[in-house]
Amino acid sequence: MRNLSQFLYRLLPILLISAGGLTACAPISPLPAAESQTPTSLPSQPEALANEDPIAESPTSAEVNGKLVIYSGRSEALIQPVLDAFRSKYPKVEILIKAGSNSALANALIEEQSNPQADIFITTEMFTAQSLAQKGIFQSYFPKGAESLSAEFIGPNQTWIGLTRRARVIMYNADLVAPEELPASIFDLTNPKWKGQVAAAGSTNGGMQAHIAAMRKLLGEEATANWLKGLLANNVTFFGGHTDVRKAVGAGEFKLGLVNHYYYHLQKAEGSNVGIIYPDQDEGQIGLLTNITAAAIVRGAQNLPAAQALLDFLVSPEGQKLFAEGNYEYPLLPGVPLREGVTPLENFRLAAIDIPSIALDLEATFKLMEVVGLP
Amino acid sequence: MLRAIKSLPFPSKPLPFSSQLALVAGLVALFVALPLAYIFLRALSANPEDWLRLLQTRLWRLMGNTLALAGAVTSGTLIIGVSMAWLTERTDLPGRRAWRWMLALPLAIPPYIGAILHLALLRPRGGVIPKFLEGLFGFPVPTPSPLGFWGAAFILTIFMFPYVYLLSGAAFRSQHAMLEEAARSLGRTAWQTFWQVTLPALRPGLLAGALLVTLDVLAEYGTVALLRYETFSSAIFAQLYGRYDRSAASILSGVLVSLALLVLWSEIKLQGQARFTQIEGNWRPVPLILLGRWKLPALVTVLLVIAISLLIPLLVLLAWTIQAVLDPQTLSQIFRAGPQGLAQSAWNSLWTSALAALFAVTLSLPVARLSVRYPSPYTHFLARLCQVGYAIPGVVIALSLILIINRLVPILSATPHLVVIAYVLRNMPQAVRASESAIGRLSASLEEASRTLGRTPLQTLFEITLPLILPGLLAGGALVFLTSLKELPATLLLRPAGFDTLAVRVWVWASDGYYIQAAPAALILLLVSAIPLSFLLHRTAMFQ
Amino acid sequence: MKTLEVQNLTKRFSSTTQPAVNQISFALEEGEILALVGPSGCGKTTTLRLIAGLERPDCGSILINGRLVASESRFIPPEKRGIGLVFQDHALFPHLTVFGNVAFGLRSRRNESRHKSAPNAVKAAVLDMLRLVGIDFLASRYPHALSGGERQRVALARALAPRPSLVLLDEPFSSLDADMRLTMREEVRKILKSMQATVVFVTHDQEEALFMGDRLAVFQRGQIEQIGTPDEVFHTPATRFVAKFMGDSDFLRGKISSNGIQTEIGLLLQPVSLPNSTLVEIAVRADDIDFEPDESGNAVIAARFFRGALNLYRLQLDSGQILHALKMHTYLVPVGTRVRARISAGHPLAVFEKSA
Repeated sequence: MRNLSQFLYRLLPILLISAGGLTACAPISPLPAAESQTPTSLPSQPEALANEDPIAESPTSAEVNGKLVIYSGRSEALIQPVLDAFRSKYPKVEILIKAGSNSALANALIEEQSNPQADIFITTEMFTAQSLAQKGIFQSYFPKGAESLSAEFIGPNQTWIGLTRRARVIMYNADLVAPEELPASIFDLTNPKWKGQVAAAGSTNGGMQAHIAAMRKLLGEEATANWLKGLLANNVTFFGGHTDVRKAVGAGEFKLGLVNHYYYHLQKAEGSNVGIIYPDQDEGQIGLLTNITAAAIVRGAQNLPAAQALLDFLVSPEGQKLFAEGNYEYPLLPGVPLREGVTPLENFRLAAIDIPSIALDLEATFKLMEVVGLP
Repeated sequence: MLRAIKSLPFPSKPLPFSSQLALVAGLVALFVALPLAYIFLRALSANPEDWLRLLQTRLWRLMGNTLALAGAVTSGTLIIGVSMAWLTERTDLPGRRAWRWMLALPLAIPPYIGAILHLALLRPRGGVIPKFLEGLFGFPVPTPSPLGFWGAAFILTIFMFPYVYLLSGAAFRSQHAMLEEAARSLGRTAWQTFWQVTLPALRPGLLAGALLVTLDVLAEYGTVALLRYETFSSAIFAQLYGRYDRSAASILSGVLVSLALLVLWSEIKLQGQARFTQIEGNWRPVPLILLGRWKLPALVTVLLVIAISLLIPLLVLLAWTIQAVLDPQTLSQIFRAGPQGLAQSAWNSLWTSALAALFAVTLSLPVARLSVRYPSPYTHFLARLCQVGYAIPGVVIALSLILIINRLVPILSATPHLVVIAYVLRNMPQAVRASESAIGRLSASLEEASRTLGRTPLQTLFEITLPLILPGLLAGGALVFLTSLKELPATLLLRPAGFDTLAVRVWVWASDGYYIQAAPAALILLLVSAIPLSFLLHRTAMFQ
Repeated sequence: MKTLEVQNLTKRFSSTTQPAVNQISFALEEGEILALVGPSGCGKTTTLRLIAGLERPDCGSILINGRLVASESRFIPPEKRGIGLVFQDHALFPHLTVFGNVAFGLRSRRNESRHKSAPNAVKAAVLDMLRLVGIDFLASRYPHALSGGERQRVALARALAPRPSLVLLDEPFSSLDADMRLTMREEVRKILKSMQATVVFVTHDQEEALFMGDRLAVFQRGQIEQIGTPDEVFHTPATRFVAKFMGDSDFLRGKISSNGIQTEIGLLLQPVSLPNSTLVEIAVRADDIDFEPDESGNAVIAARFFRGALNLYRLQLDSGQILHALKMHTYLVPVGTRVRARISAGHPLAVFEKSA
């Protein structure tokens, strides 16, 4: 097991190079930024190929039935509406879902490689998808209608496909925080002024892991460690997931929360008086961090037609609209409108991250979280 | 709660030692001990760098956190458990009979459900009660927080005290009036008698109760995770859940299991010295103490404990369930057909727990028979080995199963069978103890009589042994069933896709803060748990 | 052919202690009752269990009706030995009625051929057996609703019902109170004899052994000290242990002289084939000793025990030795009285060379 995981770590760097730096080299550019693609991430790059499967044809709806096993890093509550919509289209499919953390599910996929149990893997950040692709966990499939997707959202050899994009923001309780004292940077979260008033997701959360990995690259080991230590010293409360964070901020248990942008919208929709800050927009600051969710078909999937149908659905305008409407995310398919109230990413200065080198150090990120003692 | 402390009533002489039996029992013990051995192996063979890093960072803090919580909860349950038992068994408290039941029933409520309720009600600024108070007074009123050490200690205490309550209640009840009369005649006051005679005589029961509580606290995941108090169990879970590398999880597991084994070992040592035989002859119950003007305060205290540990949780769950049922959207969400529906989850809970109970009891039989009928260092070692499941928390069982099964029996990985195996491993001790006590009560001569009357060993098993020990086995099975129903961390980690139990359903909703959606599953879980629990309670002397 | 033959039987339970049963041999004729008697832990019950097949011997062999059932290389399990065993605790099956208990042995595979497709035959056999032991009216009761004596009868009926070639009884009366014991043992003996059963009977009570046994085997430390008829064992004990255990004997020290044995209370005129001056002990029972008050006597009354029709006196000889003597209850001598004790046995006494 140990060897396996070490192997995975060693692979991660290479994989992440090919991960397609969604935000890489795209500091200010509006999205989509296909030209920011690192060469290795292109589907045609042979060294990134996980397998040589011919890219399968899309299924016809007649043959879509049976059980479809999904491992989802996205929490069940957030993915369920989309899956329900899929089922209303393909009522003969029975969906079995196991929701968990990206890393727990990735471990399961690796362990089950010789005896695959899952058909589809859905992840909240493409690092995991990329590394698994490199290990040959996934099979190639190019979803119907995905041609208009920017190449940076497609895994090597079309092993995974991007679904949505989300931004890392600070949400605040507007009852408790006056507009003039709002933080403008994630570094303000370590200001003693906010001591005990900040909530965030902990080290098991994929979004937080990716966030720290990116910061580590942008600012270096020490500055990131200091930031994390600053959070700990400031008595930041770390929850298992972001839902807890947004609810706590919404309820006024905390003034500020470090979350993905849609948690702000979800909480606001529940009637809370909350606000959103897109941090680090000034010159000299790191810019807005973003992340991509992805889905892939597991090699050896028992129900290929249904898996392919689901992938088709997820990147179809209908599926993309569900993500955008239901969950306030940024759809990756061009032309799908944002939900009302969601600010287009084009309005922001995005973080300039060098994805390949982050990937090289992903193991160091895990170690950093442990050494700092991030819960 | 169901441990036979008294010695066996019949002499048990062996039939010729059966090597097949010894072999089967050995295999069972091996099966039970394998996860333990594997975890130790992994922990010891882990990279020294990992050890060092853990030693420098988290290990001591986790150790301190875990021990502090275990100590606090054990003390708390002893205080509440013994005082409740004393009030309902030894005094003229009005309504004792009803309170007895209500004080035992919280065992059907998994502490993590209690934690969910307290979070929803009391969480600072966000809970129902603080919000209500703030609305009432116009400013935030400080309320006790369920979070952190004190919250976790409080919640674990109020849902675990029934262990101590039942064991000390049984001990109070079996105590002979003569003991206290002797003390009084030797010049002790009633108060001195209580401290010098009554309480020390409870020691075996108290130790057994304290052991159960301590080991349960060590193994508890859901409560501490929800209340954000980091112990070994929650740290291991996080490590398994959020990291790729399993060596740190193995190290933490190794340390946790050592801790639990230490607790188990010291209980065995202490218990060995404290085996009191009851006085034979005409047993007479101790006369009730008249509370007099203390009647009302005592009644209020008992009612308060019952309200906090049973009535309020039940009422809140009921209210939420009604709320969930009345809201069409929520209703369709939770009562949906398919794998995430309540019906399917309840069925999964039932069949896995029942299967685990069946397997655990069946597997316990050869071990129990061997250790009762052929007492020897070897057979005792086997029986002890089967007790270590107590000391292996669910997360650790999950970790070792993930590691072992994928290597040895990949066909089982990602199947519900894995969940069943985890339940069997974790609950084997309860089954072994129940079977041992059932077989111990069966005179060996009955089996021998059957043999001399022409029955083979197998015929004897089915015609004599099984019919006679069946009630005892059912009790063991009920206990395994009950604890399997409530099991959370191993189920979370081991379940295949689309396989939810009631506990998982509760957790999935509640860990995201959807308390109302979680309520129906929690309520069903409670009601289902109450069935084996009341069966078990009916068997104990206190409720006859 | 002997019904039971036991040869050089040895059983040890652990390698460190001495054997529980050590090299014993004996044989039983058909219809004979053999009582195994001895103090607790002497190996008599182990012997019984070895015969029953509930223990496996380390050495030696057991033959039942000429069939080898146990040896170093062969072990027939209890269910195939055709024996009936009455347990000390009766071991009645609590989940079966009296009828069910007695029928249990008749319904086994071993007996199936005999009662094939004949439930009526089983019923008749059970009722016959219950009638024989006098409890046919209890057939539908469960064991917990029976008295001690009734349980005893059920246990006996259950063991006898399959008509075993050998009946084993393990202290069957030990759980009964004194009154019941006397009636039961008489009745059980009558039943066993009426069925001409071959029986091995284990007891620690010598009186019971003398009553029940056609022959007795006296056990000590895993070995048979003596085997013989009640008369032989009682009157001519082969060893000091048998004399002590079977008759509550005192041992009077003496020295062989040319015309008898010189003792503290006089010369015993009894020829003994031992050289002169050999130190011996004479086994004397309370009925072998008499005394009368005598100021210049050789003993003092140390205590008196009321024994109904008789009084038992404890005499302390001048040497400190203790003897007992029986007197009619009307003959009263106060404690402390000086008396002259003498041997008054009308029969030869057992004499043992005094061990150094």
